[in-house]
Amino acid sequence: MLRVENLSFSYGKIQAVRNVSFEVKKGEIMAIIGSNGAGKSSLLKCVAGLLKPQTGKIYMEGEALEASAYKTVEKGVCLIPEGRWIFSNLTVEENLILGGYTSKTVAQGIERSYDMFPRLGERRNQRAGTLSGGEQQMLAIARGLMSNPKVLLLDEPSLGLAPLIVNDIMKIIQDANKAGVSVLLVEQNARKALKIAHHACVLKHGTIVKEGTGTELAQDESILSEYLGNVNKNKKDRLIINA
Amino acid sequence: MFFQQVINGLSVGGIYALMAVGYSLIYSLLNFTNFAHSITVTIGAFATFYFLAEVFQNIYAGILFAIVVAGILAMLIQILGYSVLLKKNAQRIYLLITGLGISTMCDNLVIIAFTSRFRVYPANFSTKAINVFGATVGTIDLIILAVSAVALIIVQLFIKKSRAGLAIRGASFSLETASIMGINTQKLILIVFLIAGALAGLAGALLGAKYTAYPALGSNMANKAFISSVVGGLGSITGAVIGALILGIGEVLISGYVSSAMRDIFSYTLLVIILFVKPSGLMGVDTGERA
Repeated sequence: MLRVENLSFSYGKIQAVRNVSFEVKKGEIMAIIGSNGAGKSSLLKCVAGLLKPQTGKIYMEGEALEASAYKTVEKGVCLIPEGRWIFSNLTVEENLILGGYTSKTVAQGIERSYDMFPRLGERRNQRAGTLSGGEQQMLAIARGLMSNPKVLLLDEPSLGLAPLIVNDIMKIIQDANKAGVSVLLVEQNARKALKIAHHACVLKHGTIVKEGTGTELAQDESILSEYLGNVNKNKKDRLIINA
Repeated sequence: MFFQQVINGLSVGGIYALMAVGYSLIYSLLNFTNFAHSITVTIGAFATFYFLAEVFQNIYAGILFAIVVAGILAMLIQILGYSVLLKKNAQRIYLLITGLGISTMCDNLVIIAFTSRFRVYPANFSTKAINVFGATVGTIDLIILAVSAVALIIVQLFIKKSRAGLAIRGASFSLETASIMGINTQKLILIVFLIAGALAGLAGALLGAKYTAYPALGSNMANKAFISSVVGGLGSITGAVIGALILGIGEVLISGYVSSAMRDIFSYTLLVIILFVKPSGLMGVDTGERA
């Protein structure tokens, strides 16, 4: 459905993404895991049209995507960026309306968002900047879904959230997927991501070093220890990975 | 006497506000001061003059013509002057310098094209004075006040109520975030330049009616509008209007009761005081690198 072919991107001389190819199939959750600086966010920003890759192509349903963020949204690919990027000067509802800027069913979308996240409904006229971190992440996801995307790109949705809320967020991602949205999930929180992913790959220094199903990779302790920190040595490290 | 001065001050302040809102709108979206704004004011006045002289002697039609011409000019300035730099994500200071360059160049082109003569509109508002609560007030001041108020209310409603207005408010928080909502930010920037230019054209047309049309009109008046928007808080539309009214009324009262030589001293002193006491302006918020 969403196919990335030989994509490379560099910031000046620093190469962030090297010759990466993969495909997100219709209806699946695909996870890209990797440590800090592995090039995950740059890769996602290229897909979303925020960065222009030096080489490589991105195809959505067979059609090549331009490096233009708003056109990418029109093609049904929506990014929920790292750090959420909420319009904190606007109300919760105004954030949702802007999320549905390209949608013809804004009113239904808002209703669906409030069904999904009753907390947002309670705070609809509150300025979004006053929400808690977890609520802001919910708003970011609800806002992303407002455009009725076919593919949702999620960049580190668990970042900075308490473990219990991370579980909620993962559940929401699964629900959205069951409702028919394909998901490309980029995460440092490998265990959580692999648990819900149908298919995953590991990114290291900008290249894909391993691919497999979510369960395969989750059982491959060498991957977890090699690329994501050591899991088996002691409890303290495990906490870091699970956090 | 005092009432008369206040009405006069409000009419001057209203025109300042039309220009100041343009500065603020562009600043709120792009974080730089568009110094090419003044040329759209000058062109507004000249467009009205030539329309009245050559086409049709109706001041309202002339004003409409000026709004259209100045709006288009502002969009051209964005497309030819700024958009290249914006696409390269250049530092804001370069945009500011580009704006100064456009302004100087255009001021001189206007002198070459129209000479530096002062031109009186062949058709104008009624010069009659009317009695309001025992004070004599110029009809022209009342009309200017009303027209400015209506224009500012329309812009405010557009920003607060329309879909594009919401997009502008969102984009003023972050252009990049707006783009991943599916908003064509280049188009949005163009809309903002169109609004700013149209308001500047209206201001120019009204200034030409109140005074005369001459090449330095825009830069003289837009300076005051810039002070207004800094005093009110750059980036805030309400702030721009408040700053403009303070400046307009203050100037008129100073020239009426003290000396007209003190008028500009008052404006610049106010600017200096605000920059010392509250650099972000009366309604402004401080964030990040701006120019």
